[in-house]
Amino acid sequence: MKVKKTKSLEANIPTASMADIAFLLIVFFMISTVFQVDKTSVALPESHGKTRFEVVKESAFVIVTKEGTIKASDGLEDSRLVNVEDIGILAASWMQKRPSQPVVIKADADARYGLVDDVLKHLRDAGVVNLKFLTEQSKAD
Amino acid sequence: MKIQPKKEEPEIPTASMADIAFLLIVFFMLTTVFSANKGMEHILPPPDENPDQTEPDDAIYIRIFPSGQFTMDATSYLIEDVEKVYDYVNAKVQVNAKKPIIVDANPEARYGDMVAVLDQLKILSVDMKRELAITIPTPEERAMYQRMQQ
Repeated sequence: MKVKKTKSLEANIPTASMADIAFLLIVFFMISTVFQVDKTSVALPESHGKTRFEVVKESAFVIVTKEGTIKASDGLEDSRLVNVEDIGILAASWMQKRPSQPVVIKADADARYGLVDDVLKHLRDAGVVNLKFLTEQSKAD
Repeated sequence: MKIQPKKEEPEIPTASMADIAFLLIVFFMLTTVFSANKGMEHILPPPDENPDQTEPDDAIYIRIFPSGQFTMDATSYLIEDVEKVYDYVNAKVQVNAKKPIIVDANPEARYGDMVAVLDQLKILSVDMKRELAITIPTPEERAMYQRMQQ
């Protein structure tokens, strides 16, 4: 029997798995990246498109839920539960770090206004100027 | 000499798969809109401001009640007719652009109702291309206004 001549191997880098590696990397980064400082689910009140403006990056957040719990975040760290009386102290510390710090109110449409009112009062006393009421696009638009 | 045609193996090129994948992901990342990233702007007055500055008699006084009703000056409306705020305030502001507007929501009222009223005022503000003097009173100011209204 005749021995087959050894086939010369061509050098090449396997590229078929490149796509898989790319997807894996991207999924990893997408999961590990924090987009929002707060993930509390609230039913936001609606407002019309004309009046809605983009929230500035690193805005501080105050979250008021339907049940009446209050959370706060300085815009860098994740939000955590706070008492309404502590909002003033917190806001004052934000203002000290950054006097132009914008604050976003993320409150449930069914929340008691009195609670939002207290938050507003504390923010105002702490010297917050730039305020935003987070809303959802109105369905009427 | 006999020419033997070289047998070519069928192959799908996969080298550009990664590029396509990256392109798609970058496209989706750029076009994704997170639902909760927009809101209404409101400028709070400095804390040392004299609370007596806004006289409720000269102002458009909007009160929001827990029952889902609101009153503008003396007339009562249902919150479903919130669009009326636009027309009413528009008529007043055309005469005097600096007319203060007080949005006094009852502590037991729905936050959503208050935002609905504020929304109408902000739309008017955008349409007029000027800031309106919208005041959201503090609890103390509210008590004072209500005393003055009586």
